[in-house]
Formats: sequence, C-alpha cells, structure tokens
Amino acid sequence: MSDQALSDAANTVAGQLQHKIDQRQLDVPMLPEVASKVVTLSQDPESDAAKLAQLIQSDQALAGHVMHIANSAAYTPNASLVSLQQAITRLGMNLISDIALAASISAKMFKAPGYESHINYIWRHALATALWGKEIARVCRRNVEATFLCGLLHSIGRPVTIQCLLELAKKNDTELTEQDMQLLEEKYHTPVGIAVAQRWQMPQIVCESIEFFHAYENANLAREQTTMINGGAAFATHLLKPEVLGAAALGELPVLADLNLYDDEIATLMDKKDDIKSTMEAMLGR
Amino acid sequence: MSYDFDLVVIGSGPAGQKAAVQGAKAGKKVAIVERDKVLGGACVHRGTIPSKTLRENALRVKNMRANAALANFQLAEDTEMVTLINRLDQVLLAHDQYMRKQIDRNNITRIHGRAKFIDSHTLEIARVRDADYCIKAQNIIIATGSFPRKPDNIAVDHEYIFDSDSVLSMLYLPRSLTVLGGGVIASEYASIFQALGVKVTMIDKYPRPLGFLDQDLTDKFVHAFESMGGTWLGEHNVVSAEFDGLAGVITRCDNGLEIKSEKLLCAAGRIANVKDLAIENAGLSLSDRGLIPVDNNLRTSVANIFAAGDVIGPPSLASTSMEQGRRATCNAIGIIMGRIASTIPSGIYAIPELSAVGLTEQQARDKHGEVIVGKANFEEIARGQISDIQDGMLKLICAPDGKELLGVSIVGEGATELIHIGQMALLSQSPVDIFVESIFNFPTLAEAYRVAALSVIGQREQRGKG
Ligand SMILES: Cc1cc2nc3c(=O)[nH]c(=O)nc-3n(C[C@H](O)[C@H](O)[C@H](O)COP(=O)(O)OP(=O)(O)OC[C@H]3O[C@@H](n4cnc5c(N)ncnc54)[C@H](O)[C@@H]3O)c2cc1C
Repeated sequence: MSDQALSDAANTVAGQLQHKIDQRQLDVPMLPEVASKVVTLSQDPESDAAKLAQLIQSDQALAGHVMHIANSAAYTPNASLVSLQQAITRLGMNLISDIALAASISAKMFKAPGYESHINYIWRHALATALWGKEIARVCRRNVEATFLCGLLHSIGRPVTIQCLLELAKKNDTELTEQDMQLLEEKYHTPVGIAVAQRWQMPQIVCESIEFFHAYENANLAREQTTMINGGAAFATHLLKPEVLGAAALGELPVLADLNLYDDEIATLMDKKDDIKSTMEAMLGR
Repeated sequence: MSYDFDLVVIGSGPAGQKAAVQGAKAGKKVAIVERDKVLGGACVHRGTIPSKTLRENALRVKNMRANAALANFQLAEDTEMVTLINRLDQVLLAHDQYMRKQIDRNNITRIHGRAKFIDSHTLEIARVRDADYCIKAQNIIIATGSFPRKPDNIAVDHEYIFDSDSVLSMLYLPRSLTVLGGGVIASEYASIFQALGVKVTMIDKYPRPLGFLDQDLTDKFVHAFESMGGTWLGEHNVVSAEFDGLAGVITRCDNGLEIKSEKLLCAAGRIANVKDLAIENAGLSLSDRGLIPVDNNLRTSVANIFAAGDVIGPPSLASTSMEQGRRATCNAIGIIMGRIASTIPSGIYAIPELSAVGLTEQQARDKHGEVIVGKANFEEIARGQISDIQDGMLKLICAPDGKELLGVSIVGEGATELIHIGQMALLSQSPVDIFVESIFNFPTLAEAYRVAALSVIGQREQRGKG
C-alpha cells in the first residue's frame, strides 16, 4: 500500500524496508563487542570491578574515553583519577558501565552521510532521556537501575532506520527528500528499534520499552518503565530544545499526569537540570 | 456556612476507605480525596499486599528447597523480582475494582488530587491534570497514613539503599541484603528475603527484634531466621550506611564492625504523612513523636476534624486502621459507639509467622504477679510433625488463679489465623478450660490450644495442692 505523502522513490524504499523487517533481514549495526560485554557484565551477579576494568582496558579507545569522562568536572572535580580500577572504586561499577555503554554505542556507529548532526541530536536526546528517566524513577519509587539502558536505547530505531533508508536509496539509485526521510523515520523507527534490540539480545524490558514508547499504556511487563522513559524523553526535549518544549508546555503533558507528578514534584525534578546537563556533556566527552 | 460535603475523608487506605463507606451508609454526603491514581493506600500498593504476595512465593521456594528429595529445585541466580511477585497485578486489580465499585455504589464522590488545609473546614485540592480548586466540608477525617522514616546518616537513593516503599522495585534478587531495624517491616522482609536465598543481615540497636512481643516468640523467630542462614545483630548502633562506589553498600556500626552487602533496606520506623496537608492552617499540630494526637473518640484538637490509621501512630496495622476509620466517622456524625476492643491482635507475616493478642507474659507478671503460663511446642502436635513445622509454639498466659485468660502468643506457620481462636476466648471472657472442653479437629495446629490449656490446668492443680 503506498503512502500519498511520500514520493514514488520513497514508497519503493519503504516497501523494501518493510520486507527486510518482515523477513528479519535488517542490516543491524553490530553491537560493539565491548558494549555487549558491558551489558552482560553489569547484569551478572558474579561480576566484579576487576572484570569490568579488564574489559574496558581491552579496548584502548574506550578506556581512554572512560578515564577522560571519569576525570571530568561532573564526576571528579579535582581530576585525580589515575587508573580505571580507581575510577570504578570512586564512581561505582554501575556508573562506569553506564559511561562505557554510552561511549561504546554512540552516534559514530552509524554511517549516514548528510545526517550526522541529526543522528548526533538523537543520541544526545537518548542519553538525556536515560539520565532524566533515572531521576523520575527515584521520585516515583520505581526501579532506578534499568531505566538508564531503556532510556539510552528507546530511540535506537531512528539512526538505524536512517542508515538503512540511505543504503536502500543508494541501491535503487534514487534520492529521498528530507520530507521523505522524516516521514519514514517516524513510520519505521519503532519496528526497526525492536528488531535491533532483539538482535542485540537486550533484556525483555528494553525491547518492550522500545515497542511501546509511544503508547506506554499498552505496555505489559515494562509499563512503568516505559512511562518513565516517555516522561524522561519529554524532559530531555525541554533540556535540549526549550524552544520546542517550554517549561509550561512540559508541565501540561499527559505523561507527567500519568506518572502522577504534581507541580511541585515537577519543579523539584527541574532543579536537577544543570546536574543532568553537565553529566550528559561529560558522558559525551565534552 | 454551607458545605459541599457533610464529610470529606483524606486518603483511601484502609482507614479512609472504611471511614467514607461508613459515612455514606449513614446517609451523609461524602467525598474521598486520594493523591495517587489508584485507591487503596500503602496497604494495597506499597506494603501489606505486595509483601504478602512475595512471602507466598518465598514460602514455596523454602518448601521446595526443604523437599529436595521430591523436587530438585534451585532458584536461578538472576531471578527477577516480577516473577516472585507474579500474581500481584491480578490481586491489585481485583482489589482496586472492588474498592471502586464499593465507593461508587455508595455514591461517594471520588477526587483524584492532593488535599491541603486552608482552614478547618476548607481543603484545597491540587490536581495533576487540571486546575486546583477548593471544597468545604462540615467534618474532615485525616487518613493520610505514614511513610518511611529516613535517618540522616542513611543515604536512601532507591538504587542501592531502599526503604520499604521502594524495596520491591529491585529488578533482581540481590545476593546479599542488610536490613536496618528490628520492627515488623524489617522482620518480615528480612525473613522473606532470607527464605528466598538472599544472604540477609539484620541490625538493630535493641537486643531482640519485635521487642513488643513475648521473648519466647522472638527467640524462636531469631532461631528460625538464623537456621535459614540469616544473621541477627542486636545491640548494634549503625553510624552510617552508604554506597561504596563498587556496586555495594557498606554499613558501619559504632563498635567498628563493617558489613558489606549488595543492597540495603532501611526500615527504621514510619512517620505520619502530613507533608502536604498544611495542618497548621486548620489549627492542628503534631505531637513530639510526629503523630496527629487524638482523644479516645479519634477527635483531634479541632472539633470537626478526626484522624485514623497510621497518622495517629501504633499499632499501625491495616486491620486496626479500618476499625479506627469506621469509628472516626461514627463519632463525627454522632453515632454512639462502644469502646474499641482492647484485644487487637498483632500479626507479623515473617517466616515463620508471629501473632499475639492480649498481654505478653512479662506484661502479665508486671500487672498480676505470679501468672500461670502454658506452652505447646508444635513439634509435640501431630499436625506440626506432619507438616514439619519447626520453631512453632503456642503460649497461653493466665491470671494467678489459673482460670482467667490474659493473653495468647503464637509463633509458627498459621499463627495469624490461629490467634483468632484465642481472641474469641478473650473477648467472651471464657476460662482457659474452654480449650479442653471443646473438641478440635485432628490433626490440626489448633490442638495446641488444648495442650497448652492442659498444662495451665495441671499447674493450677499443683498450685492448689501446694
Ligand atoms: C511493608 C509493609 C507491610 C505491612 N504489612 C501489614 C500486614 O501484614 N498487616 C497489617 O495489618 N498491616 C500491615 N502494614 C501496615 C498497613 O499497611 C498500614 O497500617 C495501613 O496501610 C494504614 O492505613 P491508612 O489508611 O492509615 O494509611 P495508608 O494505607 O498509608 O493510606 C493513606 C493514603 O492517603 C493518601 N494521601 C496522603 N496524603 C494525602 C493528601 N494530602 N491528599 C490526598 N491523599 C493523600 C496516600 O496516597 C495513601 O493512599 C504493612 C505496612 C508496610 C509498609
């Protein structure tokens, strides 16, 4: 079935993408080996700091990056960390694995000429969502631990969709307009995201929070998690693009009411804006 | 003055709910205000029912382990909490629907919002979706419950260090858990997690947990807890507990002892939840202990305002809260009530269960002198043997005449149900002989009443001869 708003070329590409999704033949970028090991390690009750340090050290670029972030003002005001082991002791395994994850799965994984800055924004937004999600979880007395991963990956379908669309267009020797790209990204990022999470063997709650991100009330196992991530994403938009979502409009969003957040609780969350911003910048290695 | 409602109840926990229904049944125009999206309060959503659902599974796990010959059972390392609280959603949904129906059937106005006093008759309602507004009521009942007390030296972050509101939000069962406190909630969660195979250390400043219970009972509880592998550290003062930066928590005591665990539960008591109420606007203030003071009729210092449930303090039980809620309404609208039964049973759903009604042995001695105590160990009862109930005991405490029953204390599976037999005997002021004169099913644990009563009667006869 063709979509009226799309160009003919886009309709063709869309059909091919749909086919790939249906046939489970989507070209999913490899989850960097370290990232997948970090996820496994952080969920392994037997794991310890030494194992994590060893793992990060096995990837020199990542090790450098993690040390750089750990020594940034947001985490260590007087930049005194000399070893990974010490950084883990000071900052904690969970935080270091969050940093390592955010650093190893990054905007740089995607090859999408012309869309770099868009993907960069998606990535920054995902990271901010993960960080806000944690704060919301604390206020709501819900699970804090899993929220980071769910937030970080909730929009993973977007860059992968863009990359796939560009590849397909190239194969067909056609070009897609900016409007085509936008419409197709909107339409396909959820099924693509689910496919990526499944291929990466992410925990069930991550898959569900991607699947139901836009309709969190339909989520099953991860309903609370998904609602919190959706709320976190709204705070992230406000943080990164206040001109798109101002404070007043944010407060009016149905998701905040669904999280049963009263005005003063929203205000308390807002007070964390600067902290989250500097943590985010630090994690991005700025 | 004209009012929007005859009665407004703040809070939909056990106290608020029963207060509202009682008012409506008496023909009054009633509203119930609840800040959460769902009805039921701490009891339904953060306490009683969720913890009991987890307990049910913990018992199953414990029994399967104990019966290794029947089922080769091992709990997976990464067991998710949701699988252990599996039927909770259904239980909660059923409960929520039942309450909603009951409230609607009785034409009670349901208000989703957060109440704050403007004056003694006016409440401002803050809402999550719409604009705030005010309502006026002739009588107001405060039933806003309690929330976990947060000591200054414990950094509760709901990630590594939990309180009883957030502890069930853990994704996975931790390998080890430190529990701060020796009260009901601490004892319940400590023994439940230990039964699930988590290595639990329970720390409190008092020598024994559950200090308000009979010492024989708490000794059995500690024995059972330690036999499962738990550690009880009484008379330890915790000076700090913090995340060690390495995916674990370090708890430090003033004697230098350091305990490391993956997670920590801080169960250091509960305080009245008046955070958003601005009670001072109504002319009310809290007692030194952080509670709303009420008289015997549950009336506060302001004539048209009553309070019930956890906000007024101990015994802080769902069962008592319900009755207090009902009574608060009756008193507010002028329905004459008898005295609230002095025989409130306490039920502690630890593993094993504990329950008591009336006086403990020590209280009875202090008050009556040489009391007579009869005990029955469950190992001596056929049913106890069949069901392999260890650390089970029933204790009857009688006046020095060996006839009048003063209290009953029970530890062991089934204690919270068994106690009601003793409670009825106390309420009807039956002599202890009733347990021997009546016939109990065989084999049952209730038979322990008979065995303990025979012991009392034996001692009474000895005393008579002496
Ligand atoms: C872990 C745990 C286990 C427990 N186990 C047992 C047990 O086995 N047996 C037992 O009998 N008891 C048990 N209890 C105790 C029992 O839950 C409480 O005694 C009971 O819930 C108190 O009822 P309540 O109506 O006073 O308050 P709550 O149940 O706390 O309800 C108060 C309600 O008021 C609402 N509220 C607060 N402020 C406002 C406001 N400003 N405006 C509007 N609404 C407001 C809250 O959202 C809440 O819903 C347990 C408690 C815990 C925490």
